[in-house]
Amino acid sequence: MLWKQYSGYLLGVCLRYATDRPEAEDMLQEAFLRIFFNLGEYSGTGSFKGWLRKVTVNTAITYYHKNLRHKHQIDIDDYVSTETGTSGFEEDFYTAEDLYRVLNELSPGYRMVFNLYTIEGYKHHEIAEMLGIDVNTSKSQYSRARAILRKKLEDLTKLKGKYT
Amino acid sequence: MTEEERDNNLENLFRNKLEEKEMVAESDLTGRFMRRLGWKEFFRFPPTRFNIYYVSAVIAGLTVAGLMLLIPPRGKDTVPDDLAPKNGQTVTGANTEIMTERQNENEIPKVTVTEAASGTVRAEPAPGGVTERQNGIKTPTGAGENDIKVSKQGKDEVSVTQATMPGAVISASVTSGCVPLRVSFRNPDAATGTAEWSFGDGGSSGENNPDYIYDLPGTYKVSLTLTDQRGRKTMATEVIEAWAGPSASFEIRQNDPWGESDKASFINLSTGAVQYLWDFGDGTFSTLSDPSYKYERAGSYNVTLVAYSENGCADSLTINDAFTDNGTFIRFPNAFMPNAGGPTGGYYNQRTDEDNQVFHPVTSGVTSYNLKIYNKVGMLVFESDDIAMGWDGYYKGQICTPGVYVWKVRGTFRNGQPVVMAGDVTLLNY
Repeated sequence: MLWKQYSGYLLGVCLRYATDRPEAEDMLQEAFLRIFFNLGEYSGTGSFKGWLRKVTVNTAITYYHKNLRHKHQIDIDDYVSTETGTSGFEEDFYTAEDLYRVLNELSPGYRMVFNLYTIEGYKHHEIAEMLGIDVNTSKSQYSRARAILRKKLEDLTKLKGKYT
Repeated sequence: MTEEERDNNLENLFRNKLEEKEMVAESDLTGRFMRRLGWKEFFRFPPTRFNIYYVSAVIAGLTVAGLMLLIPPRGKDTVPDDLAPKNGQTVTGANTEIMTERQNENEIPKVTVTEAASGTVRAEPAPGGVTERQNGIKTPTGAGENDIKVSKQGKDEVSVTQATMPGAVISASVTSGCVPLRVSFRNPDAATGTAEWSFGDGGSSGENNPDYIYDLPGTYKVSLTLTDQRGRKTMATEVIEAWAGPSASFEIRQNDPWGESDKASFINLSTGAVQYLWDFGDGTFSTLSDPSYKYERAGSYNVTLVAYSENGCADSLTINDAFTDNGTFIRFPNAFMPNAGGPTGGYYNQRTDEDNQVFHPVTSGVTSYNLKIYNKVGMLVFESDDIAMGWDGYYKGQICTPGVYVWKVRGTFRNGQPVVMAGDVTLLNY
């Protein structure tokens, strides 16, 4: 069954867009409702999984819009100077949970842009259209998100290093 | 690392790690989603469109409405609060005084009903003598007219009200027995209302104290329904068990048990019995199933067999005069022709006395015997105590004149009956 087969995968997607797990679960349910009632719209071309993901991402965007007014606040440390080190990140050093946590700590706007650009692979002008923002805003938010993520990952690295 | 490399490194990290990442959705989440999907599905269609969900909703609604119509609203079970007595308080009804008592709040209230007229206590339920009914309402058992109801209100309050209806009681003279089973039913609560009996085998009665006879074995559920003037009903039931009775029957194999070695054999043909009692009629008894018995004295006896079933049901059969004494008789001929050649001495053989030269009886079962023969003038011409010796027609060596002679016999049969006979015999011309 559809839910059984894809809920895990789509939950992973939702976790990237949500602030926390309950929100991700909520989002997942919304996405599946859309999927069930719009199965007929799947064109048949392209990967079904990809279509599912697209629907889910769209749901996340809708979710983002719906909750925008509650979340239009940005942590003060997002603006703090982001001086970072110069080394890269080792993939094996971080678990998926670590990365989710880091993403979740981002403010919703940054998170949307980062997700859509980096993982979903949309162009900045597409993102701007989807989220209803300026192209430049998208670009600057993206670079800022990247900087914040890097900072947070470095903090995490130090923290983890202490214990490993 | 250049700035660009570092950017790519970060992007790759997230892309590689998270793009195809699968998380585990707990079953709880699955269930929640299914419910949500169900509701969504339900409201997805406009009400005007045919939809199985709406059809089932309408059916469910109609069912609930129907049930509510069918089930009449329950009557009021408790009195208003202002009438409810406190613990230990006494309430006086029309004819009765009702008092509730209770030691602690968890105990079932103890209820005492006192009849004002006679002053007798009608019901004083012991612990457990109060039966709990629906909704925690407790009714004392055994109470009669002007019964009460006790309900727990809160934790420390007891409310008492004149009850709607007392319980009926069936009093039966017996609740089990052998068929035909006669049961006298009594309805002690005749004053409560009109009685209607159902005897469990299709029979019914409107009497208060009917008698009923169960002919067929079986278990019967008797019910008594009392209907008072206001149409309220109360019912009591009783189970009556009617046991199957045995059927006693026997035959006697040997009808002439007087012979030296003959015994009477009793063939038991009873059915449904496990135990027997034979009465042979001479004061001797046996509990065997198929006894044989040798009577000490011949006679006509009444033999009785009593057959008992498992439940102790009994049936008896008596054969009166079981041994009518065909075996004992004495018969005399009315003529004989003496031997002209001289006295024979009177000895004879029953089988060989074909010439009929000796006057003698044909007998069976005679134990003592005395035969006297007189001539026409009343003179004794012959006497014998030996049955084996008859009269040869001679008197003191002289043959008697032909003519009529009178004989008289006295004696006893072996069954004790006396033998007293008299008759005449013709001495034929030789």
